[in-house]
Amino acid sequence: MEPVYLTKLVSQSNGWLSARQAAIAENVANANTPGFKAKDIEPFTSVISKTRLAMTATHDGHMGAATDGPRATKVRKADSWMVSHSGNSVSVEQEMVKAGEVARSHSLNASLAKSFHRMYLASVK
Amino acid sequence: MSDPLTATMHIASSGLQAQSERLRVVSENLANARSTGKTAGSDPYSRKTITFESEFDRAQAAAMVKVKDIGTDKAPFVVEYEPGHPAADENGYVKMPNVNVLLELADMRETNRSYEANLKVMTQAREMVMRHIGLLRD
Repeated sequence: MEPVYLTKLVSQSNGWLSARQAAIAENVANANTPGFKAKDIEPFTSVISKTRLAMTATHDGHMGAATDGPRATKVRKADSWMVSHSGNSVSVEQEMVKAGEVARSHSLNASLAKSFHRMYLASVK
Repeated sequence: MSDPLTATMHIASSGLQAQSERLRVVSENLANARSTGKTAGSDPYSRKTITFESEFDRAQAAAMVKVKDIGTDKAPFVVEYEPGHPAADENGYVKMPNVNVLLELADMRETNRSYEANLKVMTQAREMVMRHIGLLRD
């Protein structure tokens, strides 16, 4: 683990937010498709608790230790606000709320990363 | 799998395309709301319907939306008594299209709403990309 792992956390979180934005885009695009079930990805906390338990390769024969990127693309069936008569469970309002959450967290991450960069640069000067 | 934000753009654009197609059908129905047949007793314009289906795109690994079918409404035509009309039958009745203008307007509003939602998702994905670029800028 890197000594200051906050930057890594920020980039992981941004990867997760991008994946969530893609899920939101799918839902909104299929808002009028009959029978389409709304999707969401698993929460970031569960992604983080999974990635922490990565085994270290101590021998050349060990494998699989390099995959520490967030595989946050597991899709679960969202508990939707509204199911239409055709079996479509996308609520555009709910998707907009989710999109707002993503935008807020993403701009928080971006400003955090920016302030870390400032700190690094201040130490160099 | 491709970059999720690029996939977002592609998915949202497929949604925009589907909704524009829907608006085209609505405009066709509205424009032909009073289009009768040419000869006596012939059928008038029949309302068109549009259905969507979700299609799994392998390149983006996501469910895109596409227009499944543009069909015709099987509802019966509205009959009006207008003896002087060229399309009137021997009893003086004219078959009018089965287009309900209010229904079409409601459909138009819904189309607009979906289009806006897709556009918002796209704008937001673009903002996210720009925020990343902004990190490099200063």
